[in-house]
Amino acid sequence: MLRSMINGAVAMGWLACALFFLRFWKQSRERLFAFFSLSFVMLAANSVAAALMDAQDERRYYLYLARLVAFLIILYAIWDKNRAARNGGG
Amino acid sequence: MAEAVYILCALTSVACAVLLLRGWKRSQSRLLLWSGLCFVGMAVSNVLLFVDLVILPTTIDLYMPRLLATLASVAVLLYGLIWDAS
Repeated sequence: MLRSMINGAVAMGWLACALFFLRFWKQSRERLFAFFSLSFVMLAANSVAAALMDAQDERRYYLYLARLVAFLIILYAIWDKNRAARNGGG
Repeated sequence: MAEAVYILCALTSVACAVLLLRGWKRSQSRLLLWSGLCFVGMAVSNVLLFVDLVILPTTIDLYMPRLLATLASVAVLLYGLIWDAS
């Protein structure tokens, strides 16, 4: 019960962060923010799935795979931003 | 296979934290500082994940500390976004 509640709170938090980054992206049109937003939406979905899933469920493994993808999106976003800066872009 | 995913989760979150904090040192952008701190928390959570599921026996359950580390990460980022970044 407590676990589900905290997972829900974490999901809400990630979604709020995603919305902030979505707003930054709308204001600045910088791709980095869009990638951040996407990654945080994935983490939010991840927490919702974790809250709904039983602790012994074999499919829990896929949760961590999704989490890994979210982190890889952030890494790609940073790489993409650095590359743009090197090429003289924004 | 699952172990590899846990290790990669830990490594990628550490890499995110390092790159974001390095970016913050270079540009002094507060948004990068809060994002970096958030990923430090996520790195802690993911290292605990590996310790919990791979190293420690099943009798010890670190689910709650992992969850609290994640909650703290989200809280730090939200705090930064609301009070500092805009």
